[in-house]
Amino acid sequence: MASAWERLRSIGALVGLNGFLPMRRQPLFLVNTLTSPFSFLFLYFIVEKAAGNTHLFPYAIAGGLILTVLSIGTSLQADLTHYKQDLKFQEIVVASPVGAASYVTGMALSELVYSIPGLAVFIILSVLYAHYAAFGGLTVLLALLLLWVFASALGFTLSTYLEDVRETFAISPLVSIALSVIPPVYYPITVIPGAWRWVALLSPTTWAANLVQGAMGLPAPSLGPDPYLLDATVLLAWAVALFLLAWTKAQWRER
Amino acid sequence: MAWALKARRLGRVYRWRGGQNVALRDVDLEVPAGSVLGLIGRNGAGKTTFIRIGSTSLLPTSGALEVLGRDVVAEAPAIRRRIAVIPQESRPFYWMTPRELVRYYLRLRGHSGREASRRAQEALNELGLSAWSETLVSRLSGGLRRRAMVAMVMASDAEILFLDEPTTGLDPLARRSVWEAIRRAAESHRTIFLTTHYLEEAEYLSDRLALLERGQLLAQGTPRDLSARVRYPFRVMVESGFSREELESYGRVSSVGTRLFLFTDEDRAQEVAREGLARGARLHLGPVSLEDIFVQIVGREISEDEGEGGEGGVGVGAS
Repeated sequence: MASAWERLRSIGALVGLNGFLPMRRQPLFLVNTLTSPFSFLFLYFIVEKAAGNTHLFPYAIAGGLILTVLSIGTSLQADLTHYKQDLKFQEIVVASPVGAASYVTGMALSELVYSIPGLAVFIILSVLYAHYAAFGGLTVLLALLLLWVFASALGFTLSTYLEDVRETFAISPLVSIALSVIPPVYYPITVIPGAWRWVALLSPTTWAANLVQGAMGLPAPSLGPDPYLLDATVLLAWAVALFLLAWTKAQWRER
Repeated sequence: MAWALKARRLGRVYRWRGGQNVALRDVDLEVPAGSVLGLIGRNGAGKTTFIRIGSTSLLPTSGALEVLGRDVVAEAPAIRRRIAVIPQESRPFYWMTPRELVRYYLRLRGHSGREASRRAQEALNELGLSAWSETLVSRLSGGLRRRAMVAMVMASDAEILFLDEPTTGLDPLARRSVWEAIRRAAESHRTIFLTTHYLEEAEYLSDRLALLERGQLLAQGTPRDLSARVRYPFRVMVESGFSREELESYGRVSSVGTRLFLFTDEDRAQEVAREGLARGARLHLGPVSLEDIFVQIVGREISEDEGEGGEGGVGVGAS
């Protein structure tokens, strides 16, 4: 088994080869990860300006934070599928001391590298437009961290089942819409009629958004007896569940 | 003898809804440590499946395979740090240089930065890639990219290298530089498990050969062992001086263009040579090549399966 130090080296190498190196050689990769979250933000800005109010704009900032982290999962899924099917990189890594956990951690961190500028912009905007509650910043970081684990595990698991990179073109938008556009990520859950809220609660991003919105001082209903404790618990459960799914079902080795 | 690889009734069936494909069937194969094994066979014979099981990326569906004394199913993590693979049709990241590719691969395997740089430089020199070491892969030819992949695994400290068609797409000179690197790796007591379609490559590099056809191992052994298995160990290429009918009385005859190829035993080959000298015929005589052996063994198998008498085409050894 690889030592902890060797694992760190492996993870560092993956962050370099899939994060910093391609980013240095092709800066357009950076812009690509910012397009979707900033498009929504731009749309909110224009529509609200025309309507003469700005009360939903901070929700778009919270949604942008979540979509940026969620994009890590969809990018990871596309990259890993391409590397597995076209470059046969997964087979090269399997036949080495690097285990699946190190591989996914390294690749997910490398995708995070691309998202750092976007996250930084959204965090600055959130500080400007929102009123953080006490420990609000930490709460947002916790929510984004759990969402990152969830999205990365989902992306990895899907990538091991896809047989061609073209399939990711079909699946990624579906995942993105199902997890970030339809659920109350860019708007408060209170917009959804009470009878239908349970549908929204099926999505982990609803819980993440409610947590982030509340931490940013936006009106967000408490979904449990203790404000936001249930949000964090459910999000943690989703992250653990997807991690376990990746652990048991992902085809690191073809069956 | 220490075995690097030992397969016992190894099998792999790919199943999908409504169908299945038996890629490997009861393969028994042993590869001594420190040797070069050339696995040859036609497309779809099961070569890549074997390599993928040996390099622990694919599970077998029956039988057992031990790599360095460890079971590939139960003890894969212990095997993985001692092996390296170049999969078939694998490609390097286009945004890297060959030096970065090798260096990052070694870092991935847990080498220190200094060690990775030293090993990368040595491997790049060995594969004749020094002049291109700082050029982006996207600007390299297909052959140079393939050599960069070979340099990557050669630079590792793996005891077994699985090379799935490592020289496909290389020009003859580039192929020879890869051959030299493989030979040197073998001289340093590493085990090389090689698949190739180039039979002269298999013949040149391999201490032992294994011939797969439709998932079954038809033959294994040294090139000399395989020669002994064929019915006609000599080949006479006749350009003039003999008709096909005359040659057929000596053995099996096939033709390519205007040339006739006679496959026969040593005594009859000498007989034809003497007769040819007397007639002033143009002919070349020698032991059969690996390609001839391949065609004879695989051709016989196909003919038997199809219930033919081995007439024409690949059924050379059936009559």
